[in-house]
Amino acid sequence: MDIQLKKLDNCRWLIPKTGRMRVPGLIFSNEYLLKDIRNDQSLVQVCNVATMPGIVRYSMAMPDMHWGYGFPIGGVAAFDADDGVISPGGVGYDINCGCRLMTTMLHATDLRDVMQSLVSELFKNIPTGLGSRGSVRLSKKDQDRVAVEGAAWAVKNGYGEPGDLDRIEDRGTMQGADPSVVSERARKRGIDQLGTLGSGNHFLELQVVDTIYDRQKAHAFGLFEGQFTVFIHSGSRGYGHQICDDFLKEMGNTFPADSMQLPDRQLICAPLSSDLGRRYFSGMACAANYAWANRQILMHWTGEVLQRALGITPREFGMHLLYDVCHNIAKLEQHTVDGRSKTLCIHRKGATRAFPPGHPQLPEVYRATGQPVLIPGDMGTHSYVLAGAETAMQHSFGSTCHGAGRVLSRSKAVKLSKGRSIHRELEDKGIFVQSRGKKTLKEEMPDAYKDVSQVVGVVHEAGLATKVARLRPLGVIKG
Amino acid sequence: MGSDERHFTIIEHTADLGFRVRGETLKRLFENAAEAMIQTMIQAPNLQSAETVPILLHGADPEDLLVRWLGEVLYWFEGAKQVTVRTHVLSISSGNLEATLHTIPYDPAQHEILCEIKAVTYHQVKIVQKADAWEATVIFDV
Repeated sequence: MDIQLKKLDNCRWLIPKTGRMRVPGLIFSNEYLLKDIRNDQSLVQVCNVATMPGIVRYSMAMPDMHWGYGFPIGGVAAFDADDGVISPGGVGYDINCGCRLMTTMLHATDLRDVMQSLVSELFKNIPTGLGSRGSVRLSKKDQDRVAVEGAAWAVKNGYGEPGDLDRIEDRGTMQGADPSVVSERARKRGIDQLGTLGSGNHFLELQVVDTIYDRQKAHAFGLFEGQFTVFIHSGSRGYGHQICDDFLKEMGNTFPADSMQLPDRQLICAPLSSDLGRRYFSGMACAANYAWANRQILMHWTGEVLQRALGITPREFGMHLLYDVCHNIAKLEQHTVDGRSKTLCIHRKGATRAFPPGHPQLPEVYRATGQPVLIPGDMGTHSYVLAGAETAMQHSFGSTCHGAGRVLSRSKAVKLSKGRSIHRELEDKGIFVQSRGKKTLKEEMPDAYKDVSQVVGVVHEAGLATKVARLRPLGVIKG
Repeated sequence: MGSDERHFTIIEHTADLGFRVRGETLKRLFENAAEAMIQTMIQAPNLQSAETVPILLHGADPEDLLVRWLGEVLYWFEGAKQVTVRTHVLSISSGNLEATLHTIPYDPAQHEILCEIKAVTYHQVKIVQKADAWEATVIFDV
């Protein structure tokens, strides 16, 4: 299918409304990134999302967009809360897959000689990889409390500080969670996975702040050049995967894709106003809260492991949570549409919220700067910290990209890595990596991803978020 | 495309994993699809199964049935910690499937997990009857 793109400016491209599309498509990208985007089916997926009932303004995709299942990865779509739909596929199986960045008081140069051993200690102590089980033992009642309270449950149970909650999207607790809608299967899949990193593209990364772009905002975020930082990327594990799957099946039974004239079955959805739509929202909130509890626990253990390995006190380590964002979620938010404030259900499928300075939902500490936006690169290149900007509210319902975005399939990446030691290539760049899965490093090699500097460049130029700092990897653990 | 001498080939997909699987009959197609998914997920020794799990599924059409079927195999591994070593489809129509999973308990010491499959998706799922065999395409979230 040959999709026509009309250039609006250097960073925005329109897919005109055609056929059954209810709204146009809007792609945030540049000429360089578009070359790869045209090679997969992600543009078709943007058009498919545009056919969904109640979609408002545009079916959007961020500059890290690539072929997903149903929605493109990097997809953003807003639906009217009154007559629109909610779609589990528009959130993803890994509900509230997201990331958090922690700052420390340490300089990375002081840790150069011990970096490899820090990576080893983390690899030994943080449950990572396929089939890993966490050491947090949950009763059924506890699991329900996690589902309702999220990160707050973790803090109450000794993982982290109350002040951390101010620095998590939604304070780490999504309202409206109802564990009674969660199936026994989802409970079983999640019962022993709390406090596990996961596998695939999930990771825990040790970094150094190597560039400051905005001194004022960096200072407000607690960042300084040469600083040792830690980044965690993980989600809701089997608990969230099963919740999504359960509701996709139920929606498929109640609102078959044919009856809603959906071009892709994975876009199965239910009216937001329906009982099923509301139950999915409640289940999604449970999974979102599980993921926030998960990342809170992982952060706490990471701090303990590093302090013990370095032989320093928590005060000397000075680890603080900068922020935690989700990038697979559907949120009810107020946005201006045709001059009026409306409640919309914003689906971000591999996309991050980016609220600007002054937004009432931001914690006091970030009201002046705008929301921290965390963009991880691949394990061989930089990650970025940005700040949400007003243009995002005007153009993308307060949304931006979530990462570098893949360009190669896993099998192609494995083929390309033949005869190469990805482990050694990274070590030659000064990055120590440990991973459990035999194929993980090959599938996740840097060549498999877009150039994150191009992706972030588009975000910055489009005004969705502004660059604050750049982080370079020093050590990574993966599943 | 990568291929396995048994019954399936890997499909290129940027973010996820897909395969195309064949079977002489619709029953064999479903059995082969389960086998392909298990081989992708886990390396387990060829042991006599200890348990049998009866499966009874309803779906809107064969594609829906296939996604639900593979979802069952996935759940029994991920949730119930049972590795399916063999499947036997007893009967299948366009909307109903009756089958048995032959399983062994998951043992991390003996069973190497090769790939974590989060879910079986509906994206581009397709079953076609060709001249000499049935063929299915399915994409997984990994």
